[in-house]
Amino acid sequence: MTAPTATSSIPTTPTTRAEAGSGITFGRVLRSEWIKVTTVPSTVILIVITLVVMIGLAAVVAWSLGLAADAAPPGAAFAVPSSGLAFGQLLIASLAVVLVASEWGTGMIRSTMVAVPGRTQALVAKAAVIAAISFVVGFVSALGSYFVTQPILDAQGLGFALGEEGVFLSVVNTGTFLALVALISMATGTLLRNTAGGIVTVVGVFFVLPVVLQTLAGLADWVADVGRFLPGEAGQQMVAVSTTDGALSPLEGGLTMAAWAVGLQVIALVVTKKRDV
Amino acid sequence: MIEAQALSKRYGRKTAVDTVSFTVQPGRVTGFLGPNGAGKSTTMRMIMGLDNPTGGRVTVNGRPYAAHKAPLHEVGALLDAKAVHTRRSAYNHLRAMAATHGIPNRRVNDVIELTGLGPVARKRVGGFSLGMGQRLGIAVALLGDPHTVILDEPVNGLDPEGVQWVRHLARDLAGEGRTVFLSSHLMSEMALTADHLIVIGRGRIIADAPIQSIIDAQSTARVRVRAERPQDLLGALAGDGVTSQVLEPELVEISGVEARRVAEVALRERVLVYELTPLQLSLEGAYMQLTRGEVEYESRSLSNTSTLASTEGR
Repeated sequence: MTAPTATSSIPTTPTTRAEAGSGITFGRVLRSEWIKVTTVPSTVILIVITLVVMIGLAAVVAWSLGLAADAAPPGAAFAVPSSGLAFGQLLIASLAVVLVASEWGTGMIRSTMVAVPGRTQALVAKAAVIAAISFVVGFVSALGSYFVTQPILDAQGLGFALGEEGVFLSVVNTGTFLALVALISMATGTLLRNTAGGIVTVVGVFFVLPVVLQTLAGLADWVADVGRFLPGEAGQQMVAVSTTDGALSPLEGGLTMAAWAVGLQVIALVVTKKRDV
Repeated sequence: MIEAQALSKRYGRKTAVDTVSFTVQPGRVTGFLGPNGAGKSTTMRMIMGLDNPTGGRVTVNGRPYAAHKAPLHEVGALLDAKAVHTRRSAYNHLRAMAATHGIPNRRVNDVIELTGLGPVARKRVGGFSLGMGQRLGIAVALLGDPHTVILDEPVNGLDPEGVQWVRHLARDLAGEGRTVFLSSHLMSEMALTADHLIVIGRGRIIADAPIQSIIDAQSTARVRVRAERPQDLLGALAGDGVTSQVLEPELVEISGVEARRVAEVALRERVLVYELTPLQLSLEGAYMQLTRGEVEYESRSLSNTSTLASTEGR
């Protein structure tokens, strides 16, 4: 540490001091955030619910599609593995808000900011951990849904291979979509610092706003345009195996949603850096 | 070592900390004393980089806290025992804190043992008593084996055994040459623990001096006298720096004079004295006097402060 001061002849280097080279690194902060996220019960509970609901819904949809196999529009079966997407979106959005807003709510954030006073690394690491978990949850549930639903669909001759065009990409992008949902929700939770307010806000943005804009779409063309570029609506295009005319392509949709996620994360970061905690 | 220079914090129109400057030296326990709401916690939060100062600056071991590469090894702080996620266990909380600096689990177990958290370490913090919460906060503060330890009201909610333990801990840490900065609103607590006192009132430093010199500076000799003709006695005693207060017809309190001198004068003047009690101003009394002064005669107390501050620390 610093040079000894004039007033103390006592050694200022304690004996059990950790060896040189210890200190904050991004990898260590990442590990800390991983420990934090995985040691609160809400994480495990919400992840399990998400997996069960997403796979379960896909199975139910596959089964009901099989009942009306003749009436089903062509390509409908492709959408089956991502049937539970909206519920996954809701649950992951809640999880992301809870994980970050509960830190503010419980005062944990002060411990975090004392340990990582630069703050940026802590927030980026938290975003990375939450996004990674959400990606895995989305990917695993989409893949699980695929394998659970194929026997049901095969029985009706509606089965399809994972290697068919766009199918595996859709499975991967279910993960990407949920990761972006998590980033947007986490940024919202960080800005609002409140669990209830955060969840209400993300539900509003993901589920209510699209419906409102759809209702008002008849008023002007630009309303429909705005609706297409909402984060949830744009992002869902990533999961579509076949897209309709006029809609964003999976890539465009993904980039639009990613822009929302990055933009909100940057705002949350700038605000948090300046904030008294 | 902690150095604050003209440190200020304003919330809207309210000034919580008003251009304070002080130095907390290593190798001794420095008490940070003031009534509730005086600005102690705000000052400590600014030291730890949680609150941004409105003006001035504060450094720890030569740098702003956030500029250290391994801040937990430089400074350990208990600012708020509730700064923990209530659904996480104490052990996992410590593990998460330790991970940021690559501090091994061995050290986590050490601080759990040191703070007596063993039996509850795997339980959720939400169910902790205030005392257990304080112990966890102290465990976090010690995690990085820091040069400087900052404890905000550490004995709050502790049982008598815990209070003693904190006193010994603070003394031991200072004895190892560390900087120990400890806040309290209780003078009696400080009297038992601190070597040096920084007294704050209404966001300003009122006194910054060794604990003994604060008592000395505030306690002029006072004597309580019951006598038959107190006016005669007071007349004979009148002189430089002697003031008196008549409490009852035959009861007076005289300041600025020793009991023996009162007795001598009474003997000479042939005044019957039937009580003569020297009054010792306790540390508590000195504190009350200091903080009362801050409220009533703000500018005068402050000028006293600066002489105290400047004669000290050499």
